[in-house]
Amino acid sequence: MSWWRAVWLVAQRELRERGRSKSYLFSTVFIVILLGGAFVVPALLQGGATTYQIGLVGEGGEDIVATAEAIALEEAGDDEPDEFETVAFDDLESAEAALENDDVDVVLVDGTELVTGPGGAFGGSAIESLLQRAAGTRRVQELVESGEEAAEVVRILTTDPLQMRRTAGADEEDEAVRGVVAFAGLVLMYAAILMYGSWMLSGVTEEKTNRVIEVLLSTLRPWHILGGKLIGIGLLGLAQLVVVVAAGLGAIDITNAVEIPAVPFDSVVALIGWFILGFLLYAILYGAAGSLVSRMEDAQNAVGPLTIVALVGYLFSFAALNDPDGTVAMVGTYIPFSAPYVAPIRLAIGDINALEMTAAVLITMVTIALLVRLAGRVYAGGLLRFGGRVKWREAYRSAE
Amino acid sequence: MLEIIDLHKRYGEVVALDGCTFQVKPGRMMGFLGPNGAGKTTTMRAVFGLVRPDSGEVRWNGQPITHETRMRFGYMPEQRGLYPKMKAHDQLTYMGKIHGMSTRDASAAADRWLETLGLADRRDAPTETLSHGNQQRVQLAAALVHDPDLMVLDEPLSGLDPIGVDTMAEILRGQAREGKAVVFSSHQLDLVEDLCDDVAIINEGKIVAVGNVAQLKAAAPIRHLELEMEGSADSVLSLLDGVRSAEVVDGRHVLTIDADTDVRQVLAEAEKGGVVRHFVYTTPSLTDLFREAVA
Repeated sequence: MSWWRAVWLVAQRELRERGRSKSYLFSTVFIVILLGGAFVVPALLQGGATTYQIGLVGEGGEDIVATAEAIALEEAGDDEPDEFETVAFDDLESAEAALENDDVDVVLVDGTELVTGPGGAFGGSAIESLLQRAAGTRRVQELVESGEEAAEVVRILTTDPLQMRRTAGADEEDEAVRGVVAFAGLVLMYAAILMYGSWMLSGVTEEKTNRVIEVLLSTLRPWHILGGKLIGIGLLGLAQLVVVVAAGLGAIDITNAVEIPAVPFDSVVALIGWFILGFLLYAILYGAAGSLVSRMEDAQNAVGPLTIVALVGYLFSFAALNDPDGTVAMVGTYIPFSAPYVAPIRLAIGDINALEMTAAVLITMVTIALLVRLAGRVYAGGLLRFGGRVKWREAYRSAE
Repeated sequence: MLEIIDLHKRYGEVVALDGCTFQVKPGRMMGFLGPNGAGKTTTMRAVFGLVRPDSGEVRWNGQPITHETRMRFGYMPEQRGLYPKMKAHDQLTYMGKIHGMSTRDASAAADRWLETLGLADRRDAPTETLSHGNQQRVQLAAALVHDPDLMVLDEPLSGLDPIGVDTMAEILRGQAREGKAVVFSSHQLDLVEDLCDDVAIINEGKIVAVGNVAQLKAAAPIRHLELEMEGSADSVLSLLDGVRSAEVVDGRHVLTIDADTDVRQVLAEAEKGGVVRHFVYTTPSLTDLFREAVA
């Protein structure tokens, strides 16, 4: 039997057995619900009455706000209607300053332009669309009163909406999105490493506990089993991650909680690439740790040090979030155990260049290659030593 | 033929194997016996490369054993050796595949064995939901599914009810009849005596007795003698030389005597003295051989 068939058979078993296990399905659904809830619940809560602060500059805004109030009152039915408070500003500058301080939600300029703040705060789009409709309604009323031709009414309505403008520039907006991507990616990466790492751990220990490993090892080599597990669990993890992210974006879309930004392509590629590297790096070690114990109860103890390493790497990356080009972030880029967290953050919001990124990838890959040999040997040595907990060194020595 | 040649293995201070040598021939069933901790499991693991001996080697048909060779071996480890949550059929199919079978062949063989073992209706049951005996049947099937040339089974009979033992024995006999080499360890010596052509007895890492069961018994230095007669047997039995032990159980004299003791004179004297109700002169049982060998 060729080595790749051996590895694939093991991977296939993981995919099938784990993939259709209730715990895999439940954990996927659970994360989706959790993530969905994070966006849906606030949106639902916001369904109640909201008080909007609307900045006014120049003439013409009052009428639109009054119309918006009327629309809101009508649509609320028996519910409490949204309220609108207006704040008059002498000039555009002071109005925009208030907008950035969140003192007002939007600013209407001369009844023709709608200015919103940077990014999209929750509910921002609701007031935007309401004011657009109010402006349109006003226009229709004016046109009807002035006795225009119907065709002219349609032309004006379709070509003449409120002009939209954001105070923040395009670059800054992208920056804000990148920050969100970096943070969400970091949390997902940490959760993924811990969760899929523990799958490796329990999968390896389970085979040892049940002595299935004795049968497997009579025809498969240790690295076939370890490699197959990595591939199987890695693919399941990747699939779960994709589903979760897709569901998350879907939830945002449905509830319109925030505008879905065009997520920077390079950030997503880097996240996936680093997920694979980070998963391999940690999962190999989790697998080796699993081979050292004979009982599930001992498994958590065996990975204690490893969990601390993962946590320290994670904490490193918070420094990187605050200061993506600071010393801590720089150092973290080149430490293989923190690189999977830090490097994508620096790509998203920092100033990492291609050379640094390549170096980080190479260092991590070399470490993985070394670990495959070292941890692979610990795994091979640990597997057949039953009874108490085997020491890393002991397991390493006992394998050939 | 499986040849185990002078295996030595030490774990620190503990000597697990100290020159273990024996052969398992095709078409024959061998019982591998020994007290707990004598080195049975270590020897079996050495066959599958799970233990690397300090010296000595294991050969199959005269060649050193490789991963390729082991594809044709079947192994039933002492405990479980199954995935608890996997369905019986899927489990057997997987075992077949890792021994080089195609998915289709493995699946067909899995169904065949489940049928043979009376588990066809539990085909899709997770292994952990099966009774102990049925799990053991699945475990046997896992060692058989790829139709191996050699079967090595560690305590396959332990914990089975008499029906289960019969099924297991039947299948192993069938395998030997088909020309497979079969070796299994057991503590149920009476069963081994009925079942096996050959035995190897290991004690403290060394083989202390090996060979054909009948020949071993014949070659044993002791015999069993049982006598029950009307009147006292004491005077008759006093004629015997080389009595190793003697006891009376329900009026029946049970003696262990030297193999070269002539008992014809005793029988003749007994018949002169009265009616002989019971007279048995036999080679020792396997249990006796075992006790003798590991004493």
